[in-house]
Amino acid sequence: MPALKRALLLIVLCFYTAFAAGPFVWAAMMSLRTTTEIHRNHFAPPIPAHWDKFAEAWFNSNYSLYFANSTQIVVSAVVMLTIIGSMAAHCLARYRFRLNRIIYFVLFSTIIFPPQITIISLFQILVQYGLYNSKIGLTLVYVAIQLPLTIYILESFFARIPSDLFDAARIDGYSDWEIFWRVSLPIALPAVSTTVILNFILLWNEFLYAVVLITEEANRTLPLGIQRFIGDTQEDVGMIATGLMIAIIPVVVVYAFFSERLIQGMTAGAVK
Amino acid sequence: MTTVQHAAEGAAHSTASIAPGGNGLHAASGGRRDAGHTRPWGTITAFLLPALIIYVAFTAYPAFRTIWNSFHKVLPRREEAVGLANYTELVGDEIFWRSVRNTITWACTSPLIEVSIALLLALALYARVPGARFFRVAWFTPVLMSYVVVGILWLWIYNFDWGPLNVALRALGLGGWTKAWLGDPHTALPSLIFVTSWMWVGFNMVVLLAALHSLPKEVIEAAELDNCGWGAKLVFVIFPLIRATLLNLIVLSFIGKMKIFDLVWITTKGNPLWATETVSTYVYKRAFEWTTFDLGYPSTIAAVWFVIVLSAVLILTWVFRLREKLEY
Repeated sequence: MPALKRALLLIVLCFYTAFAAGPFVWAAMMSLRTTTEIHRNHFAPPIPAHWDKFAEAWFNSNYSLYFANSTQIVVSAVVMLTIIGSMAAHCLARYRFRLNRIIYFVLFSTIIFPPQITIISLFQILVQYGLYNSKIGLTLVYVAIQLPLTIYILESFFARIPSDLFDAARIDGYSDWEIFWRVSLPIALPAVSTTVILNFILLWNEFLYAVVLITEEANRTLPLGIQRFIGDTQEDVGMIATGLMIAIIPVVVVYAFFSERLIQGMTAGAVK
Repeated sequence: MTTVQHAAEGAAHSTASIAPGGNGLHAASGGRRDAGHTRPWGTITAFLLPALIIYVAFTAYPAFRTIWNSFHKVLPRREEAVGLANYTELVGDEIFWRSVRNTITWACTSPLIEVSIALLLALALYARVPGARFFRVAWFTPVLMSYVVVGILWLWIYNFDWGPLNVALRALGLGGWTKAWLGDPHTALPSLIFVTSWMWVGFNMVVLLAALHSLPKEVIEAAELDNCGWGAKLVFVIFPLIRATLLNLIVLSFIGKMKIFDLVWITTKGNPLWATETVSTYVYKRAFEWTTFDLGYPSTIAAVWFVIVLSAVLILTWVFRLREKLEY
């Protein structure tokens, strides 16, 4: 009887797996088929596989440009976030001063802000400073929107490092900066890498700020590129699927290597 | 700057109660934030300044400016104070209220659907099913994709002619149930709510599973010794222990849905007949799509919505806290 129950449960779980992962597999199959093939049968396996569609999307539909823009913006934002965020988190976790908890609370509370409260004036501000429609402008905004979460995750980790360690480092003659750079940061590497991966994926997928702050083709990120592409070629399901896969692949690669770390990162805020 | 300098600064600025010692070392080192020396303002500023500059320039200042805008008419080259005119206009704006209703419906139904399905799945994996690791990784994938990708995928799934949903219905002989799911005002919003649930169940499941695995083994074993059935164990032992996690997930999901924009923008743009209009899409339309060119009115919507979201979150956490106090 328990064996039967268990088998039944497994079947249900397999159904749910098909439901959760099915759409992704379906899109992956379509990305290797031409639109005419797809319209003949929407659910056939990709035989023969048209790998050249990826080359076509990459070179002829500007995906190389979108990919490069996304990479440039996201990588620089993540680098800045990691440095600025861990400096602030280290400071909030280690130094005791009067404004400490107030600053922490103010930064942290922005996590619940709806983006509308900043987005319209960000548009105005970036226009004013000539950063509208530029990669630098979007990068800085990305740093700003991910900063609270980054500091939140890192602060809770830094705060758990025993302070005896810092005292020892100080006796060894380390300066404040060296303590941060050579003691705190190496110890917190797991947490730091979690925020790096988390920020990478969230920003790689970001759409709202990009759609408001970028209009020029030359600066479009991948989500914007895909949106433009579906606008242009509503019916070309095959090519759209190829474009989707180009956007997904980096995320899948990161997930394949760091799934545990990523799950940790995404759940870090929720468990507390 | 050297440590010694900072220490000296710290000593100079601090009051008499601070432990003596030129090197700034504290006698007691137990406290969480009780580090080497107290208040070396130079170092603190240096560490915090970059973050604070970014925060002030790209979060705090824009937020205040939005509120300022909400009392003005903001045209491309002209600004003009209009007092509360935007706010009175908002009260009579039926599309706004429609979008508020849609968003709140979304934010209230989604968390319950997501968390309850996630709890069932987490309990299934907690019961040591073979392949639990694989299931966990597979179920988590939808949340990794951007709403843009998800939106396009589900546009296809809901496609009237060849979408898998309608194809499946026809195959089951339920051809009469087929419809353009996103084109019908009655089904458009529920269909989109369903998409977000599909996306976030895995995430909630993973968090709950982690909470389940961190439960004290002794408590559950004690319940088993007392001949506690599965249902009773769930209700009286497991449920109270993971309550905090459940409530956190509900609040988190609620906040996420109050912000929802991307999915709607990619799939329906608020159509048909405002059936899927959310506050976010409406603000975007009023600010950047409609040819009114006025940024003041959308700022008013944003300001009002900001207050609504903030108070909703505060009330939610307050209610949850209150219940916690009553129980213990």
